[in-house]
Amino acid sequence: MFHWLEKHPFFFAVGVFLVIAFAGLITVLPNFAQSSRPLIGAAPYSTLELAGRHLYIKNSCNACHSQLIRPFKSETDRYGHYSLSGEYAYDRPFLWGSKRTGPDLMRVGNYRTTDWHENHMKAPADVVPGSIMPAYTWMFTKLADIDTAYAEQVTVANIFSVPYNKPVPMRDGSTKIVKMGSSVEDANAMALAEAKVIAADMKDQDVKDAIAAGKIPEIVALIAYMNSLK
Amino acid sequence: MENRPLEYDYTVAKLFMFMTIVLGVVGMLIGVILAFELAFPGLNTMLGSGVAEYTSFGRLRPLHTDSIIFGFVLSGIFTSWYYIGQRVLKVSMSESKFLMFIGKLHFGLYAVGVVAIVASLLLGYTTSKEYAEFEWPIDIVVVLIWVLFGISIFGLIGIRREKSLYISIWYFIANFLGVAMLYVFNNMEIPTYFASGGHGDILHSVSMYAGTNDAMVQWWYGHNAVAFVLTVPIIAIMYYFLPKESGQAIYSYKLSLLSFWGLMFVYLWAGGHHLIYSTVPDWVQSMGSVFSVVLILPSWGSAINMLLTMKGEWQQVAASPLIKFMILASTFYMFSTLEGPIQAIKSVNAIAHFTDWIVGHVHDGALGWVGFVVIAAIYHMAPRVFKREIYSKSLMSTQFWIQTLGIVLYFTSMWIAGITQGMMWRAHDEFGNLAYSFIDTVTVLHPYYAIRGVGGLLYLVGFLMFAYNIYKTMSARPVEEYELQNASPMGA
Amino acid sequence: MSIAELQAYGYVAAMVVLVFVTYGYAYHLYTKKKDANGKDYEDYSNMALRDDLTDTPVSARSEHKEK
Repeated sequence: MFHWLEKHPFFFAVGVFLVIAFAGLITVLPNFAQSSRPLIGAAPYSTLELAGRHLYIKNSCNACHSQLIRPFKSETDRYGHYSLSGEYAYDRPFLWGSKRTGPDLMRVGNYRTTDWHENHMKAPADVVPGSIMPAYTWMFTKLADIDTAYAEQVTVANIFSVPYNKPVPMRDGSTKIVKMGSSVEDANAMALAEAKVIAADMKDQDVKDAIAAGKIPEIVALIAYMNSLK
Repeated sequence: MENRPLEYDYTVAKLFMFMTIVLGVVGMLIGVILAFELAFPGLNTMLGSGVAEYTSFGRLRPLHTDSIIFGFVLSGIFTSWYYIGQRVLKVSMSESKFLMFIGKLHFGLYAVGVVAIVASLLLGYTTSKEYAEFEWPIDIVVVLIWVLFGISIFGLIGIRREKSLYISIWYFIANFLGVAMLYVFNNMEIPTYFASGGHGDILHSVSMYAGTNDAMVQWWYGHNAVAFVLTVPIIAIMYYFLPKESGQAIYSYKLSLLSFWGLMFVYLWAGGHHLIYSTVPDWVQSMGSVFSVVLILPSWGSAINMLLTMKGEWQQVAASPLIKFMILASTFYMFSTLEGPIQAIKSVNAIAHFTDWIVGHVHDGALGWVGFVVIAAIYHMAPRVFKREIYSKSLMSTQFWIQTLGIVLYFTSMWIAGITQGMMWRAHDEFGNLAYSFIDTVTVLHPYYAIRGVGGLLYLVGFLMFAYNIYKTMSARPVEEYELQNASPMGA
Repeated sequence: MSIAELQAYGYVAAMVVLVFVTYGYAYHLYTKKKDANGKDYEDYSNMALRDDLTDTPVSARSEHKEK
């Protein structure tokens, strides 16, 4: 067998491929059905939250912040309940990260508020002395891309049956409906309504002016996403 | 034309060689900037707050990893392929117009890909998946580049004169197949513009996998990107250039075959060690852990084989800076393939994961092993490709020591930083409360971040010396010998 | 049979096959010492050492074409 393989590059290549592909088949594939099941209490992202998530990705926040709480006392003390697989069912892509230059953000919505984020994103070291996080001042003037967030909602609702406009079960037995716009205009209007609530807690005059003019600055979308992480 | 003897044609190798050096400088420069941004956060706005978006850590970080892995290292691999491939198969690229065309097209498309990647990452187009950040149009270009690489490999094998395939060719084939499979499956994504009927950004896409599944696929990919880009082809390069430069046959060709299959069998199963204590099934984590430890065997099989190739010829290490690069690289390979499995042990991983120790581990592999092998390979190829002697041997020696010092500063500081932070995160006081707030564990790292920055800077300085040396080599004294045997000629 | 069970069997089978193949290969290499053409494996190292276009291949692809 070995003599034969040495002389036939094609079958040799097939052999190499089988050997390396086998591991993936066995480890990765079989768990797909099981671990994609959402946990009760997990809900899809609203348009504004999703736009914020895109900004989180765009600026590679995941390069320094994890979203994965490991089951150790030191981690649950610091960040809250350890992560469960079903909580990530609507995360495309996953944002666990691989490095904690800054703290974990999996449940940051439980203990940080809109105004905290506003001050912190403008000047991190003023809020947390000694912080090495850069300021994200441009997010206060650049506008969030709601259209792309809407496009993603439509895509995942159609292709992966993500339950937008459908009741999803909550932990207390109630149900929650995450709405998705019926058109881009509708989605923008809904996002603006959500943004107004957040901007009401903010101090930055540029942000307030932009919202009053019907525009959504990036920072508002990002804070909406941060607040949704619970 | 008809009377000229047939020669190996290094046109494509030469093009990729320039690309390797340029992207190496770019990638390492960005790395040094990132390192100092962590030590001195003010640098995030070094070009003014108006363009802070493009100079901030987050935006530059994927640019650093990708320009090193898929820029510097991959072009180094392509350079070596277009050099080694012809030689061990004993066939010249000038014998086939088709393969020559494919080679040039390969380079051209690669250059297009590089430009597209740099521009899109700076603008913030990223999928967030590590080492697979590119959006879907670039993924398509990458697949095309890879297909051309495949045509080039199998095309050259098809017209070879040497019947048997040298061990390096085996590794190149594995490199091609492994990356092809991994890249395609990890980048399964749906462009939202088309799926939603024309809304939003045309470049945006959404992953076909969600949450835990996405994580499993990503780290199956991420771990094996290290395997099939930063290990397998680098071994291929080493197995050719070390024997060739030293004039010594591989210590044991049988061992090289055996460790090849060992590496193929074991590597793919170890990806789970990136996900220890996460929400993936427990057995995947344990298996990742166990296989990482098993992985020491084939890795050391190759490394020991490289070191023992110098048996009886150790004076060459003292005499030739080129051999020094290769021997230190093999040593770093042994070192990081021992360190990796240690970090994959669950209880160690509990401390090491998410800390700078992992960053340190990556870099003693990347700087010590991969970087040195690529540098040594180019030093060996340059005299043959340009038919000149290497401009300066003393410059090369100086470079070696500067870079070695840089690596040592890098990994020692990152070890201390990682273990310090890992221990501080988990420390409780006598009442069972957390002993340190998160920021305490960040400010304590400042000196180590500064030392790391200096280490990285030294490596970059060494690399610039390398670039200069190669540049001057192109106009150095021509070599008299028609075909050079073994040791590369070097000027003072 | 559940997915997890199939997975477990697949895993065990894969491990057994891989272990046998690897050890079989090691045994093969060190007992045979020579490949199908009767060439010592160690001779193949010369593919790197003698790799000029004018050098004789360690094992030429087809004899009559190469003469």
